[in-house]
Amino acid sequence: MAGLDGRSLALALSIAAMLGLRALGLLVAGRLRPDHPLIAWASAVSQATLSAFVALAVVLPGGAAASLPLAARLVGLAAGLLAWWWGGGRLLPALLAGLAALVAVRALLGG
Amino acid sequence: MSSHAPRSPFRAGAGAALGAPALAMGVSFLAFGAAVAAAGLGTGWALGASLGVYGMAGQLVLLQAAGTGDPTGATLGATAANARFLPMAMALAPWLGAGPRRRWLALPFIAITPWAAAMRVLPGLPEAARLRWFLGFALVSWLVAGLATWLGLLAAPWLRPPLLAALLFANPLYFALLLAAEGRLPASRLPILAGIAAAPLAVLLPAAWGLLAAGLLGGTLAFLARRPWRRGGG
Repeated sequence: MAGLDGRSLALALSIAAMLGLRALGLLVAGRLRPDHPLIAWASAVSQATLSAFVALAVVLPGGAAASLPLAARLVGLAAGLLAWWWGGGRLLPALLAGLAALVAVRALLGG
Repeated sequence: MSSHAPRSPFRAGAGAALGAPALAMGVSFLAFGAAVAAAGLGTGWALGASLGVYGMAGQLVLLQAAGTGDPTGATLGATAANARFLPMAMALAPWLGAGPRRRWLALPFIAITPWAAAMRVLPGLPEAARLRWFLGFALVSWLVAGLATWLGLLAAPWLRPPLLAALLFANPLYFALLLAAEGRLPASRLPILAGIAAAPLAVLLPAAWGLLAAGLLGGTLAFLARRPWRRGGG
């Protein structure tokens, strides 16, 4: 390990860990049918993890996103979802509408 | 060329990755590249994190923790933040079709955006086309992530913190839209709502583990609440 500094070592270990997680999932479930209870459980956990991630990223974000006012984040989310609904489920216009609303509210609040 | 000519599954998947998925990934990886530059790390580290870790929550944890001088702690934090890859790979594996060996081609590309798209599209495709569609989508997404990270490194001096913050919000907003689309399916509604309800748990636990705990609790409760054997009387 003499050639690796701490940051590079952390990166190398993390890459190996991510491959391990993905490989374990493929290995465990590769021979199961899509309607197997283990697959249904894994799907439910994946969806719940993703929705928890979104909820936290909107209400209590970390890092640079925390500098955005809560009102701007909530309006951005609401505008994106409304545009998605009105647009018949089209993702790109909804994404752009949400980001535009976020930037507009942030500018209005003077942040 | 006739407009009725069938597209190969690989090209169809690659085409589907352009548009909203590419924009959402592009801006968030661009912001990540700029954040890496601000932390004084180089191109190799940034591309390694984006293309190797390839999961924004874990990348951000790794970036914050890598400077603490504790590689083990940084790795554990990033792994816990991206632990969703395990259930995602499990949920995706049966839909990849092909043979058990060829399925391993999907390994490095399993992340939220390709996973969410695949779970919507693959069930409606013939089994023989599924892996190639996924690889087309995933490869384009992966390349967009790498290219955007590199552009973020280059653009870092011109990206001010407010703009970076707005760009970082594109990622959760895009995922929220994906969840809204998934929420139209009754089977998906309960896990999504349970995950939101369990999210406060993440505040009570260490940051790296909280998200995983919330997902496990919410997802397991949702799974148990609609377990099919309750209806069969068995």
